[in-house]
Amino acid sequence: MSTVLEQIEQQIAKLSTKAVRKNTGTIRTVADGVARIDGLSDVMYNEMVQFPGGTIGIALNLEEDEVGCVVLGDISKLKEGDEVQTTGRLLSVPVGKALLGRTVDALGNPVDGKGPIAAKEFFPVEKIAPGIIVRKSVSQPLFTGIMAIDSMIPIGRGQRELIIGDRGTGKTTIAIDTIINQAKINKVGLAGGDPKFRPVYSIYVAVGQKQSNIVRTISALEAAGALEFTIIVAAPAADNPANQYLAPYAGAAMGEWFMENGMDALIVYDDLSKHAVAYRQISLILKRPSGREAYPGDVFYLHSRLLERSARLEGKGSLTALPIIETLAGDVSAYIPTNVISITDGQIFLETDLFNQGIRPAVSVGLSVSRVGSAAQIKATKQVGGKLKGELAQFRELAAFAQFGSDLDAKTKAQLDRGSRIVELFKQPAFNPIPIEVQVSVLFAMQKGFFDAVDVKKVVAAAASLKEFFVTRKDALLTEVRNKAALDKDLEAKLQTACDEWKATFNG
Amino acid sequence: MSAAKPAQQLARQLFRLSLVNGELSAERVGGVLEYVEKHCAHPHAVLSAYHRLVAAEVARGQALIEHAGPVSPAAIASIVSAMTQRYGRRIAPLPQRNDALLAGVRVRVGDDLYESSVAGHLSALASAT
Repeated sequence: MSTVLEQIEQQIAKLSTKAVRKNTGTIRTVADGVARIDGLSDVMYNEMVQFPGGTIGIALNLEEDEVGCVVLGDISKLKEGDEVQTTGRLLSVPVGKALLGRTVDALGNPVDGKGPIAAKEFFPVEKIAPGIIVRKSVSQPLFTGIMAIDSMIPIGRGQRELIIGDRGTGKTTIAIDTIINQAKINKVGLAGGDPKFRPVYSIYVAVGQKQSNIVRTISALEAAGALEFTIIVAAPAADNPANQYLAPYAGAAMGEWFMENGMDALIVYDDLSKHAVAYRQISLILKRPSGREAYPGDVFYLHSRLLERSARLEGKGSLTALPIIETLAGDVSAYIPTNVISITDGQIFLETDLFNQGIRPAVSVGLSVSRVGSAAQIKATKQVGGKLKGELAQFRELAAFAQFGSDLDAKTKAQLDRGSRIVELFKQPAFNPIPIEVQVSVLFAMQKGFFDAVDVKKVVAAAASLKEFFVTRKDALLTEVRNKAALDKDLEAKLQTACDEWKATFNG
Repeated sequence: MSAAKPAQQLARQLFRLSLVNGELSAERVGGVLEYVEKHCAHPHAVLSAYHRLVAAEVARGQALIEHAGPVSPAAIASIVSAMTQRYGRRIAPLPQRNDALLAGVRVRVGDDLYESSVAGHLSALASAT
């Protein structure tokens, strides 16, 4: 028995009795989610600090004799004089595949009631964007499943493409469609067993949105079977501004994990206007000097450091960003829209007028652009849709001109007819992305004049009929188009025959 | 404009004037108090800010040694010597009995807290789980 006691005594002797050093401070004031703290002389910028009861905060303002911290959690239990400690750590969130299918808050805590997340790794929320040496140019397509976008404003893996428009113009729908399309492509690709296939995982960051809208988005993703490939980061309008400010960075950290581990990811920031508003709120409470529209001086840096984290890396994966900006009365020259436009690699501009005319998605062809261009398109799309953007822009010009006179020459009339058919062809219901091979087939039919004889009002029905025909009866041909990704003479002949076959059956 | 910012700036200026060779001078602090009483428009705001700065400086020069059981003068001397060496300035001991620590010692020098008490380790364990 004595040896047992000796063993325990030795174990006790071995235990470290070294004093633990902590840097502390005391709360001077707490208000509006921000605590001002005396002390904390060793605190670092953006360091996590710990309040009594386990609540954490982030040191955002380091001043000569006080520290301004945003509190990430319940501030009702904090009071003047409470002790605060530095942690020596930057804010980190769980990352990895364990988060797929889950809804988390800005700190990575699950909020979907599906139990704890078994994440093995953590990434810091703030990280310096990859430098120029490690980056690779964007050349692989990321299909949105929206014909107007994939054919005219192509998006590549690693690109930052802004979705901008007034409220209620379908910005979120485009983002959700893209996520759903990635899930569909992933399912087909993974089932195919191609070792070269690279799935795209999605992260949807909801900032300052109504809880009901977030629930609707989750339901739409779940109904489409896309939730299993998606992480939702929710910082709803009811959340404190600190969480709304952090959510996009947390989402970016989760996306970076996929990129760093040789996978491809897509991140949607919905939306950065509300993100800027949350940051303005924090900055004003922290008494930082305000500038234009009362935003702080570093509001450009707020978004540039976030969006620069999206990239395609040499020898690794990619992170594609679809930031969303809400404009007021179509004013793209406001402060935040111009900032984000200048940071991103292009924008998809959605117009209220087009939306109200029933042209959905309401993409304004003239104002939308992808600076990556055709480098992010497959050859087949280039072959059938290369001239579409020009034709459509010409149509809009002519259509405006044609309103003033009725006598039009045959060439102008033909251009108008063709343009109005293209507009009809690009109409697409929400949450219904079209696979790229079907898009190519439909655009091929358009190019070869199969819709010319169809009445403009019936083009939508004709296109739907053609899609159904291809999906139900020409599956092998679609697979061939998908695999070859380019139209050779043989494939063109097969498509022509298929279209002729359809034409014979369609009585529009 | 609120008086808080100019008052803080003045307090910082007065605090800097209160130091002689990097240490607080009681004589200069007396002079500052006299000046504030006679010449300041917002003496309360200035003195509050000045008090905070002086209190922080005083705390930086002393080691508040909280202990649950008895602590020998030798132990206190060794703590003071270690702290003086670490901070490179003279540190005055200020022993204080605190039974809530259960056992061990807790030393505070300015913002730094050296936790070696049972209560501190228990609370660290509690927050870790």
